[in-house]
Amino acid sequence: DMRAVGKWTWLTLLRSDEIRDEYDVIVVGGGHAGTEAAAAAARLGAETLLITQKIMTIGALSCNPSLGGVGKGQLVREVDALDGLCGRAGDSAGVHFSILNRSKGPAVWGPRAQLDRERYRQFIQSELLSTPRLTVLEGSVDELLVSQPNPEEPGHHRVTGIRLVDGSHPILSSSVVLTTGTFLSGSLFMGQTTSPGGRMGDAQSCAGLSYTLKETLGLRVGRLRTGTPPRIVKESVDLSLAQLQAPDKQPTPFSFLNTHTRCKPEEQLPCYLTHTTPGVERVVRESVHLNCHIQQDTKGPRYCPSIESRVLRFPGRRHQVWLEPEGLTSDLLYPQGLSMTMPPDLQLRLLREIPALHRAEIRAPGYGVQYDFVCPTQLTPSLQVKSTQGLFLAGQINGTTGYEEAAAQGLWAGVNAGRTALSLPPIALSRTQSYIGVLIDDLVGRGVTEPYRMFTSRAEFRTYLRPDNADLRLTPRGFEEVGCVTLRRYKKAVSVRDGLQEALMALQSVALSSTRWREKLGNISLSENKSTTLNGLDLLQYKDVSFEMLASAFPECLSQYFEYSQRLKIEAVYRPHCEKQSREMERIRSEESLSLPSDMDYLSLPVSLSHEVREILDRVRPNTVSLIYASKVILIKYIIMTTDGNRKFR
Amino acid sequence: MLPCSWGLWRSAIHTLKTFRASPSARGLCIPTRAVCDAETIFALSSGHGRCGVAVVRVSGPASSMVLRNMAGLTQALPPPRTALLRRITDPQSKELLDRGLVLWFKGPHSFTGEDSAEFHIHGGPAVITAVLQALGSLEGVRPAEAGEFTRRAFHAGKLGLTEVEGLGDLIHAETEAQRRQALRQMDGELGRLYQDWSYRLKRCLAHVEAFIDFSEDELIEDGVLNQVDSSVRQLETEIERHLKDERRGERLRTGVQVVIAGATNAGKSSLLNTLCQRPAAIVSPIAGTTRDIVETSLDIGGFPVLLSDTAGLRDSSDSVEREGVRRARQRVEQADLTLVVVDSTQLPPDPQLVPAFLQEHLSTVLPSPEAGMKAASDRVLLVLNKSDLVPEEQRERTEGELRERPGLPPACFLSCSTSTGLEDFLTVLQSRVKTLCGDPLSGAPSLTQARHRAHLQQSVQALNQYHQYRDQDLALAAEGVRLALTHLGRITGRVGAEEILDIIFRDFCIGK
Repeated sequence: DMRAVGKWTWLTLLRSDEIRDEYDVIVVGGGHAGTEAAAAAARLGAETLLITQKIMTIGALSCNPSLGGVGKGQLVREVDALDGLCGRAGDSAGVHFSILNRSKGPAVWGPRAQLDRERYRQFIQSELLSTPRLTVLEGSVDELLVSQPNPEEPGHHRVTGIRLVDGSHPILSSSVVLTTGTFLSGSLFMGQTTSPGGRMGDAQSCAGLSYTLKETLGLRVGRLRTGTPPRIVKESVDLSLAQLQAPDKQPTPFSFLNTHTRCKPEEQLPCYLTHTTPGVERVVRESVHLNCHIQQDTKGPRYCPSIESRVLRFPGRRHQVWLEPEGLTSDLLYPQGLSMTMPPDLQLRLLREIPALHRAEIRAPGYGVQYDFVCPTQLTPSLQVKSTQGLFLAGQINGTTGYEEAAAQGLWAGVNAGRTALSLPPIALSRTQSYIGVLIDDLVGRGVTEPYRMFTSRAEFRTYLRPDNADLRLTPRGFEEVGCVTLRRYKKAVSVRDGLQEALMALQSVALSSTRWREKLGNISLSENKSTTLNGLDLLQYKDVSFEMLASAFPECLSQYFEYSQRLKIEAVYRPHCEKQSREMERIRSEESLSLPSDMDYLSLPVSLSHEVREILDRVRPNTVSLIYASKVILIKYIIMTTDGNRKFR
Repeated sequence: MLPCSWGLWRSAIHTLKTFRASPSARGLCIPTRAVCDAETIFALSSGHGRCGVAVVRVSGPASSMVLRNMAGLTQALPPPRTALLRRITDPQSKELLDRGLVLWFKGPHSFTGEDSAEFHIHGGPAVITAVLQALGSLEGVRPAEAGEFTRRAFHAGKLGLTEVEGLGDLIHAETEAQRRQALRQMDGELGRLYQDWSYRLKRCLAHVEAFIDFSEDELIEDGVLNQVDSSVRQLETEIERHLKDERRGERLRTGVQVVIAGATNAGKSSLLNTLCQRPAAIVSPIAGTTRDIVETSLDIGGFPVLLSDTAGLRDSSDSVEREGVRRARQRVEQADLTLVVVDSTQLPPDPQLVPAFLQEHLSTVLPSPEAGMKAASDRVLLVLNKSDLVPEEQRERTEGELRERPGLPPACFLSCSTSTGLEDFLTVLQSRVKTLCGDPLSGAPSLTQARHRAHLQQSVQALNQYHQYRDQDLALAAEGVRLALTHLGRITGRVGAEEILDIIFRDFCIGK
């Protein structure tokens, strides 16, 4: 794409001699985490430098061409509510929008879109280009500069900047955000061959950074694996043998700022659904001996990251394969569910066992990646490395998987890196307030044993952490306290909040007996007896009652709130449950706000605790009192194991 | 060493207090309301055992109602913090339960910061049980969870975290107490029943959650929910039937749990027989005589003790004995106090080598090696049995070597056959038991039963919500199952999101 290249030429000219000697924040990596981090730090007011190996791949979707979903869609909404990029980028690049879980309740709706890869990249690149205080530099970071810690703050080291591979002089900064994805000691797997790298076709991973993290800073790292499916030539697929999956007739934008998406409803592209066959299973079984990645998968995650692990772990079943468009002009299809690492010729054989793919041609084969991640229990809730002042980590380096998880961490790490540079105290998000809070709390409190992905079942307060109210939950605070939200968005959120508040009051002001309601609204089933007085908000909880019905019964006081009708309905249904949970939320929040010293000597703490508890606390090193829960869960698990006579857990 | 680390501690906590998450902005959904609708809780706070006066503490908004109802105060409440002698009656039957002192504490001037009341009643088990049952029968009043008073005090800002003791209390309430409670409740018939319910409920929740989180991308059949429907119904029926059953299953164990453990033929059963002054356990010179746990209830210095003798710990090829050893180890983990019996004729003749020998020995008997060293001082006593077979001079020198030895629990020489040293040992044992009885967790089965009942009832109610919302809003239906599991989890141990995910990933094929 020549246009995109043209835009960036002047930036590439900035190489080495024109960049400054010092920035407030340096962000390393230009993926989902890095771009959100850089943009957030700059929004906060920090002079920010984003360093990426290839400017052209900024904003590239390196795996699936889609954004959002159940749990992940909630994250996108929250990133957007904090003025991040990915929601608006999704609205600009989406070519197939749908709300998943439509029939299961608005709390678990999953806004999702298939994306046009080019449009997504373009949006992110032009957004970064127009962000004040943000400079982008193409280059590879060789090492982190580390010095003595500031004695006033906890920590053993302080990061002071970076040195580029080809740069003789260092670039200094108050904070550094590392978002190196799969590039930390990454190696690629296909069939029986392995090669160093974090993504096919890109430069090798930076050995210097790995060394600094492990040796200089003494961070514990673990190894994780992921993979990507082969890309299929669209023309070679017999789509008549697959089931067509139409998008929503009316696309719902991710962003609270958008009323409609760039792609018109009728321009949307379909997806296709097909299934694996016994032949697929046969190819997997016959090729196991030629497949290094899957052979090493004995201690793999609980879920099934590849088609190999699926058929080996759940044999004799049909597995779903989604054929997803890669963009409006792309001639490729992305087979979601067919991530594989066998040799390319066998990949082709496997695909052709699926009827719709019997003539399929592969443009680029699938492959596996193994990479280092930093055990995230070594981070604070602001995503700073506990031992190293000013060093923040976000994305896959923390053991997560997924664009949305990366974007959410990137934004929050960028916020805190910016705050550190501006001498503001770090700030944390509560798990009672957002999925981002749940994500970070889970990471830093419990750590990971497999790539961490967001599910709605991870959120205790799911009925409150809904996609519809992310703006009310986060935008005002993002502006007033955090500083990462622009005035325009803030004003909009406040006006929505006030409008909803008024509408709710108006609903509560109309009160009638249930008999009278039945007269007014016709045949609706109300469980209350005749004389009970119900207000409009009570009534709106009922399945058959819509805001429109109430507004037509009381047009004079309700009709001006039509624009909020869906949000009001959702609010009415969930409000009683959220109120019941508010006490528990309050409790957790107050415990989260009490932090524990990171260098606490639990082993000699002069209180009555058994050594087992001491050891666990010593190992977990909870950041806050709330995380004592985490250790409690560990304890209970331990107990169950030992009472079964099974001591494996330790 | 200690005073120094205390100082560091305080300053460390102070500096970090600056790192407080700011109060979060509230969304529309949560009304700005103080946490004032808390339930009212009660507990026996004077600990268990025979004592002159027992103190029952009540905290929460209904405290004044409780006081009016139980102490016959129809008019004004007594002035705060003033003891008043009243007749204490059952609020329903008006039956006289006891005469005792009542005190009224108006919040925030109370331990928890909430409205509170105290009943100082006679210490007999019958009186205590009657008063606790009467309290439990009042609307909106329920038995406290382990550590709940401490937790409320903490939230009211009455228990600063800057105080090491405050933090210790909180961790203790959260983890230690829970741990021992969970261990106990896992045991026995009733425990197995609750565990079974908990397991089935976890599966129900996992399947609903799988349907919510994955059915759009993965093959999860609609039939899954129908199975959950019937499982939930079945569980409701079973729990309701159990609640109606007046016999309420087995008797829960009462008293401080003291376990005798050690190698074979050290004289564990002899110690049990010596302590209960009757041949409750078979003793023989044959190693491995005791294979199962022998339990006996004792009264030590007025405190109820449940004493268990266990199989000698050794590797055995006999499967019955191996099972006995497994049970013994399990019982040691649950114990409030472990008496580790050592055959003193096996001690090294050189007294200087004895501490190291004993440390090594403890590590084989106690659950985790280091636990022996650190937890030793308050939860373990060493009994050096067969002291009559050791030359007196060697014994005295060994005693001198072991006196106040840091890292080792107190050690007593004793001869079960001649009763030499028995009195000294009983003095040490009694003081330990007394300390342990100050911990309300070490007993009070009636309270535990009332608590279980309350949680089971709430669990059934929550399951109702599942059916109510099943077709309208699956998120709210799932909330019902989750809530039911939370209540059951208060008995069987908390269930976290990870456990649910374990089941999901085991039962369904979920991709990346």
